[in-house]
Amino acid sequence: MEFDRTTFEPITAAEIREYAAACGEVNPAYTGEVDLVAPPTFAVRLRGRHFMPKELHGLGRNGFDAGKDMELGDPIRPGDVLTAVSVVHDVYEKTGRSGTMNFIVFRTTVTNQDEKMVAIIDQRMMFR
Amino acid sequence: MGDMNQPVYFEDVEVGDELPPLRLTLSSEQVFRYALAANMPGGRFKSDEEARTEGLPGQIVPGNMSLALFARLLTEWGEGVRVRRLSATFRGLVRPNVPLVAHAVITEKHASDHGCFIECDLILEDHEGERRVTGTATVLMATRAAP
Repeated sequence: MEFDRTTFEPITAAEIREYAAACGEVNPAYTGEVDLVAPPTFAVRLRGRHFMPKELHGLGRNGFDAGKDMELGDPIRPGDVLTAVSVVHDVYEKTGRSGTMNFIVFRTTVTNQDEKMVAIIDQRMMFR
Repeated sequence: MGDMNQPVYFEDVEVGDELPPLRLTLSSEQVFRYALAANMPGGRFKSDEEARTEGLPGQIVPGNMSLALFARLLTEWGEGVRVRRLSATFRGLVRPNVPLVAHAVITEKHASDHGCFIECDLILEDHEGERRVTGTATVLMATRAAP
């Protein structure tokens, strides 16, 4: 079930450098002047119009970020126009020492202007 | 600490090898700078005071930042390292202003027509030895035959 599709303004070199600096990156590939590419986790900063389906908005304030799984494709470069499509990928329940926890996995697939995959991000949210 | 200017080759690593660890202490300012750069301006990432209004013990490090530290651990190991998959499970709160260490150990090597890869287990632990974040990664390596 797709709940968000957002195309972003072209990525700028300044955004890439600021994200790299904020991560503490010193690798010239992410900070330099030539052949600049974004650090591997850059795509996590993309924010679509909806973080989750409207039907689940009531859960939002009670959720915890349980983890992320990223698959990385083509590098992100200045000027890239990225589109992020988000779906509900999985819903499951786990019972542990602290009780029953409900998990929802939101999958965001990010492609560039050439429709090449740059990242697939699975966001695991835990709700009690 | 690794040397990102020196190549690391698939042929030269073995299962069980540990990558040079990433040791750091994140200041409150660094954490909030990351939160802003990652479009996560929430109070929990800004200050102890604002985090406590959300029921937290104090300012916390975003999970995404822990993921970014894992990525640094891998890419700072050496030249020619390309992260292809990165996974992290957030097991506990990561706090600023305490020493952190990120570790990686190679658990598998495999080669195919698509390239030469290693699999790694990842751990981010704090000064008390608590494993706050665990994860795995798949890394595309350069080879001596085709660097």
